[in-house]
Amino acid sequence: MTALSAMTPCGEFRTSYRQDTTIFPTALSRNLMLAMVAVLCLVPLVADRYILDLMIRIGMLSIAALGLNILVGFTGQISIGHAVFFGFGAFASAWFVRHGVPVVAAIPLAGLATTVVGMVFGLPAARLKGLYLAIATLAAQFILEDFFARAQWFTGGVAGTITEYFSIFGFYFDTGERYFYVVLAYMVVMYVMAWNLMRSRDGRALVAIRDHYLSAEMMGINLTKYRTLSFGISSFYAGIGGALYAHYLLFVSVEAFNILFSIEFLGMIIIGGLGSVIGSLFGTIFMVMLPEVVQWGADALSGGWIDRTLRLSNSISFLREMVIGAVIILFLIFEPDGLAHRWRMIKAYWKLYPFSH
Amino acid sequence: MKKRVASITVALVALGLAPAAGADDIRIGHMADYSGPTSDVGVPYGHGVADALAWVNSQGGVAGTALDVETIDYGYKAPRAIGQYQRWTSRNSVVAIEGWGTADTEALITFVARDEIPYVSASYSAALTDPKGQGPRSHHGSPYNFFYGPSYSDAVRALLQWAHQDWTARGGDGRPGFVHMGANHPYPNAPKAAGEEYAAELGFDVTPSIQFALTPGDYTAQCLTLKNSGADYAYLANTAGSNISLLRACETVGVDVQFMSNVWGMDGNAMKAAGVAADGVVFPVRTASVWGDDVPGMATVRAISAVSDPSGTAYRPVHYLAGVCSAMLLVDGLTAAAAAGEVSGPAIRSAIYGLGTFAPGALEGVCAPVTFTPDDHRGLVDIPIYRSRVAGPTDAGSVDELIAGGTMGLDRVGVISLERKAEWLGW
Repeated sequence: MTALSAMTPCGEFRTSYRQDTTIFPTALSRNLMLAMVAVLCLVPLVADRYILDLMIRIGMLSIAALGLNILVGFTGQISIGHAVFFGFGAFASAWFVRHGVPVVAAIPLAGLATTVVGMVFGLPAARLKGLYLAIATLAAQFILEDFFARAQWFTGGVAGTITEYFSIFGFYFDTGERYFYVVLAYMVVMYVMAWNLMRSRDGRALVAIRDHYLSAEMMGINLTKYRTLSFGISSFYAGIGGALYAHYLLFVSVEAFNILFSIEFLGMIIIGGLGSVIGSLFGTIFMVMLPEVVQWGADALSGGWIDRTLRLSNSISFLREMVIGAVIILFLIFEPDGLAHRWRMIKAYWKLYPFSH
Repeated sequence: MKKRVASITVALVALGLAPAAGADDIRIGHMADYSGPTSDVGVPYGHGVADALAWVNSQGGVAGTALDVETIDYGYKAPRAIGQYQRWTSRNSVVAIEGWGTADTEALITFVARDEIPYVSASYSAALTDPKGQGPRSHHGSPYNFFYGPSYSDAVRALLQWAHQDWTARGGDGRPGFVHMGANHPYPNAPKAAGEEYAAELGFDVTPSIQFALTPGDYTAQCLTLKNSGADYAYLANTAGSNISLLRACETVGVDVQFMSNVWGMDGNAMKAAGVAADGVVFPVRTASVWGDDVPGMATVRAISAVSDPSGTAYRPVHYLAGVCSAMLLVDGLTAAAAAGEVSGPAIRSAIYGLGTFAPGALEGVCAPVTFTPDDHRGLVDIPIYRSRVAGPTDAGSVDELIAGGTMGLDRVGVISLERKAEWLGW
C-alpha cells in the first residue's frame, strides 16, 4: 500500500494541490486511456461471441470487485458477503423491471436499493473490527442467501426469476455485441467515479481510516459515518454489477451467489492489488481468465501423449481445479502486492529506460 | 517447456478460429451434471446419453449425417446452464439439446420456445408437459420441452394410488399419513403441491413436509421429526445420494414408515450403499425393464454400453437406461425429420408428434412406449412400480454379484396406469 508514493520517480514533483489530485498524471496517460476505450469499442466488430462473453463477464465482475476494493483496499474493512450484494442488485433490478420500470432506470435503482441494504449490514462495522467484522459480514451472506431462497415475491424463490433485455427507445441490446457497449459504458463511469472519489475529501477519509483509525478519529473523521458509507459505496458497485449480470443472463437464481463467489471477489482484489482502482480490473481479468486458460491447456493435453502415458483422461478436469489453486498460492507468494504493483513496475521501467535505477 | 507453450498457442489459435470442421454435422448440445449435488444419478444418465449418441454415430449417424455432440458438465448450477445455452445458440447453433435439471430446464422454457430448439430434459417436472399452456393450473406453455418418463407429479400420483391399495390390503385402520420430504429446490418442490393435493383427495392425512438437502449429510433430526409425525408413507423427492444418508439415519433412529421415492431416488448402486436400510423402498421405474433383463432390446443397450465400457463388465443402473431412451427419443425425432427433408427445431417437433406411440430407438422391452401430441407432452402415463429388496449386508461384491447372489433385487410390484386428466396437464 505504500507502493503508491514509493513508485514516484525522482525528478517528478508537483507545485499545486491541483496537480497532486489529478486522475491522469500526464496528458499521455490520459490519451492512452481514451485510446484504450476507443480500441475496446471496436472489439465487437472483430471478436467472436466467446471472447465477448468473457469480456462482458470481466466488465460486470470488475465493477463489483472495485466496490469491494473500496471497502477492503481503501477503507481497511472486510466483507465476506460481497456476492449477496451482487445478487441483491440482480434480483432488485429484475423486480423493478417486473413492476414496470424500464431496464435503463432499473439498473441504477437496483444500485441504490443495494446501497441501502449494504449500509444496514455495514452497521456492525461501527463497532467491530478485523475478524469479528468478517464474521458479522458472513452473517449478511447467510441471511440474504436465505432471504433469496424464500422471498417468492421478490426473487421467485428457489426457482429464480427471468428478466428482460436492456433497451433504450425500443432498441434492444439483445446480443453480446450490443450488450458489450452497455457494460463498457458502465465500467468507464464507475471507474472514473472511483478515481474521483479517491482524490476527494471523503476518499482521503476512507484511506485515513485504513491507515490508522485512531489518528483519523483524532483528526475529526467520523469513523461510524465513513465506515458505513464505505459499505454503502461498496454495495452500490456490487448492485450495479449484479444488475448488469441480470440483464445479460436474463435469469437470476439464488444458487449463483454463494460464499465461494464472495471469496472469489476477495481473491480478485487481493491478486489485483488492494487499494488500487485499476488493480480491481487486473484481478478480475486474472480470475476470469485463469480457469479458461487452464481449460485450454487441459483441452490441448487431453488425447495427447502426456494424457495417454499418465492415463489422466477424467482426472484432467480435477487437475484443472488443482492448477487454479496452485497458481493462486504461487501468485500470492511471488507477487504479494498484486498485479497493480507489477503494472507500476512495468510503467516505471519504460518511463526510466534505460536508467531504471 | 517449449512444447507446452506451442501446444497452448495452438489451442489458442484453434479457439480463436472456432472449429470449422464438420460444418454439415448435426450439432447437439448435451448438458450433464457430473460434479454437482445430483451427480450421483447425473453421471450414469449422462453416460447413457453420451454413449447412445456416440453409438448412433458409429452406426453411420442420422440419415448419413454425423451428430456433433458437445457435452458440458454444468455442475447443477442453473445460471451456468443458461450461460451455456446462450453460447450454444449464438455462437454455433445447436439443433437440439439433451438437458438435465429442473431449475435450469424450467428457466429455459421461454428461451427454447423462442429459439425453437427441442429440449429433451432429465427433469420430469409436470410444468414441462403442457405445450400450449391449456392446463388450468399450468403457468405457461412449454412447446419445445420433451422428456422420456412419467412426470414427477404423475409418478407421485401413481405411488399414492399404490399406497392407497397397499393400505387397504394391509387392513390399516383410519386415514394413513403422507409426508413429502426433500430439499427446498425446484426439483424436489416440483411435484409437492400436486402430490399433497392428490393425497388429501385419496383420503391421506397430509403432514407438513420435511426438508433435507440434496447432498449427503446427517439427517437424524429429520428422521426423528418423521418418526413423530405419524406418517405412514413418506415420499422422498431428492436424488439417491441424499436418500442413502436419510434411509441410513432413519434405520438407526428406528423409523417404521413405508418409503416411496422419486424416479431418481433409488437404484442398484444406492441399494448397495444404503444396505438393508434401503430394503422395501417403493419407486417408479421409467424403463420397461432393468439392466440384465432378458428382453429383445437389451442386446442393443449392451452394444451402447460397450462404447464407454469395452470390457462389458460395468453394471448400468436404471438411470443409464433412461439416458439411452431419452437420447434415442431425440434420435428418432431427428431421423424422422431428416426423412421428411429438413432437420430443424419445428421439423423435429412435428416428427416426434408424427411417430405416434413408439419405443425410442426401437428398443422394444427396454424403453417403454411413449406418446407425444401437440396438446399433451405427457409421454409416459403407464408407470411400472418396483420395490427394492436388500436381504443382507452389501459390503462384499459388486452390484452385479449382489443381484446375482440374491442379496439385492428389484421386484416389480405392478403397473399403475394414470388417466390423462385435463386438469392434471402441466401441473
